[in-house]
Amino acid sequence: MTSSPSRRTVLGAALGVASAAALAGCSGGRPADGRTAVRFLGPETPETFRAVIRGFERANPGIRIDYTPVPPDQLGDVLQLRLSAKDSAIDVYAVDQPRVPALTARGFLTDLNRIADRTKAAVTPEQYAVSSWDGTLRSLPIWTSTQYLFYNADLLAKAGVALPDAAPADRWSWERTRAAGRRAMDRAGADYALLLEQTDLYYGLQPLIESLHGGSGITGKDMLTPAVTTQGWIDALDWYRTLFADGSSPRGIPSYQLSSLFTSGRVPFFVGGPWNLGAFAGLKDFTWGTAPQPKFAHGRAVTPTDSWSWGVNPYAEHPEAGLRFMEYAALTTEGSLSTVEASPLIPSNRKAFDRYAADLADKATKSTAGVATIMRYELAHTAVSRPRSIGYTQFETVMGSAFSDIRNGSAVEPRLAKASGELVRTWERLR
Amino acid sequence: MTTSPPRTPPRPARRRASQGRTALYFLAPALLALVVLRLLPAAMALVSSARHHSLVDGTTTFVGLGNYTDLLSDSQFWQSVRVTLLFSLVINPLQVLIALGLAVLLGRRFAGVRFWRSLVFAPIAVPPAVSAVIWGILYRPEGPLNAILGALGIPPQPFLTSSEQALFALIVLMSWVGVGYWMMFLIAGLQDIPQECYDAAAVDGASAWQRFFHVTLPLLRRPLAFVLVADTVANFLVFAPVQLLTRGGPDGSTNLMMYDVFRRAYSVGDINFAQAEVVVLVAITLAVVVVQFRMMQGKGEE
Repeated sequence: MTSSPSRRTVLGAALGVASAAALAGCSGGRPADGRTAVRFLGPETPETFRAVIRGFERANPGIRIDYTPVPPDQLGDVLQLRLSAKDSAIDVYAVDQPRVPALTARGFLTDLNRIADRTKAAVTPEQYAVSSWDGTLRSLPIWTSTQYLFYNADLLAKAGVALPDAAPADRWSWERTRAAGRRAMDRAGADYALLLEQTDLYYGLQPLIESLHGGSGITGKDMLTPAVTTQGWIDALDWYRTLFADGSSPRGIPSYQLSSLFTSGRVPFFVGGPWNLGAFAGLKDFTWGTAPQPKFAHGRAVTPTDSWSWGVNPYAEHPEAGLRFMEYAALTTEGSLSTVEASPLIPSNRKAFDRYAADLADKATKSTAGVATIMRYELAHTAVSRPRSIGYTQFETVMGSAFSDIRNGSAVEPRLAKASGELVRTWERLR
Repeated sequence: MTTSPPRTPPRPARRRASQGRTALYFLAPALLALVVLRLLPAAMALVSSARHHSLVDGTTTFVGLGNYTDLLSDSQFWQSVRVTLLFSLVINPLQVLIALGLAVLLGRRFAGVRFWRSLVFAPIAVPPAVSAVIWGILYRPEGPLNAILGALGIPPQPFLTSSEQALFALIVLMSWVGVGYWMMFLIAGLQDIPQECYDAAAVDGASAWQRFFHVTLPLLRRPLAFVLVADTVANFLVFAPVQLLTRGGPDGSTNLMMYDVFRRAYSVGDINFAQAEVVVLVAITLAVVVVQFRMMQGKGEE
């Protein structure tokens, strides 16, 4: 026996063992407990989905849900990175609803038309529409949303400011809200006048722009033409710019830390989503209340809406098990309600929505007295969806940078013109 | 009775071939890694940079140098190149000089030197994302740095929210992270310099500065060249603090090329265009590194 084959044998064996070990490591779809593992990626904390996962696993003992949270502002990038690499380690993922067209165009969402009828029957028509593209159901809607004006009643009383009314008909203007906030800074020692939770995000700024009839920012037959230099855009963003320039709002604090600035009792007004209701419920340090989101004095009332759907990755290892999990969360009342157990977002499921709204009214405290009425009113009358375009991802990225620059002091008109030019170049490359 | 023929030693050519095969076996894992992890992705990037995917009709076409001509006519790309070159021009000499100064200082033997070395080296052990978060808090308009400035009677600075200051704020952050790391290489280089060289210079009456310029620096040329080149490459690839703290803003003032590539590839979703920018970034990095090597060689020959 020569030594050469022996070395080869040893090398071959070593390679074989290494490959087997690597392959064993890769077979993450079926864990040691024999259950099928559905890999689920989303922007929420694990606590948010604990109830829906527990409920589903109890009803489906052969399936396990492995949830991976990703920071909300990085989810789009992470999905693009992993789905473009045909990553099979994601079965189900949370889809920001205005991104359904773009994700569909990139081939990142499975066709769900075979359950279209059941979905139509279970969810609200608006939520069915935003979860579809080109007549094909591409995702199942989980939540929708609105925004409220939260206020610190103690600070306002100390400043001698009347409290905002919860009735939508008595909605405050942005100008009045800011002036009242400034008064609280001058007379009650507040650090800032007003916080916008969705700073620099189109979701939070679209209502300001559309309140002044500025339009969504996207136009054209194929919805790939920018319209971000209209007078409404300029005026709304001028107001936004001065909000930070005169110190009414803080520069340099990330969006996700703004709610804690409000709960610390240092700011009289906070415009934020329904998910804050849960966090604010335990507030003992000061009295707070809820009112409708303001509008401009000479504008119309506009509120943001839509939220998250869930989609199946076309390269998923377990698409059927993943779809079964999505159906439980979106199409059953019990499953849908369990998605809002830890974080009170608004369910897209009709029956769950009615139960949620009734619960909100029944369990209302002094602080949340008008919340159910405001929510129903806004969703029915003032909610404006974000534009539906395959170029929405680029739009949100380019405008996010522009909003950030304007917040930091850039002149509005040239910055919007620059963003418009960038959108033209970027969208031209989509064609 | 027959006698077996005498054994002839293997011919040199056969021995060389056998040694070559053995060497190849030993090199195979490294070569495989080089091909799979370096050359193949580079080739794929080149091929991808010559293609275009249309989201409107879903087709992918070969566009040759089309992405490169688009890139060269894109004002944002040129702004990114300018920002990256300015960043490199400031941060590389700054880091190397500070690292050299610290290496000379902490290369000596004195009480507590190990503690000070560890303290300077410690930031490299902190993950880049954590460093970015720490400095993000320090740089806040109402943060600790402005509190210190206020105590000294200096007005508050906008730092990351100002297009004039943001890039320099990142340079300070990255230097805090990197200087200790590069210092360790230079300390190792200093310890390799024979004591006899210093003794001979002292006998000749050389002052401390003369010893530094005529003994230390020439004999530190190789580690210095390595540090300069490796630092330059590392700084061309800075990404995490930009993504976490400024996202290229304000007004594109921190839009370093690596972040611009990421933004085009994953935020905008134009992977082919981003691959073209990657190729340009690699070309710029290689060009700068080649110039640095030549300059360092020239110095040595003198």
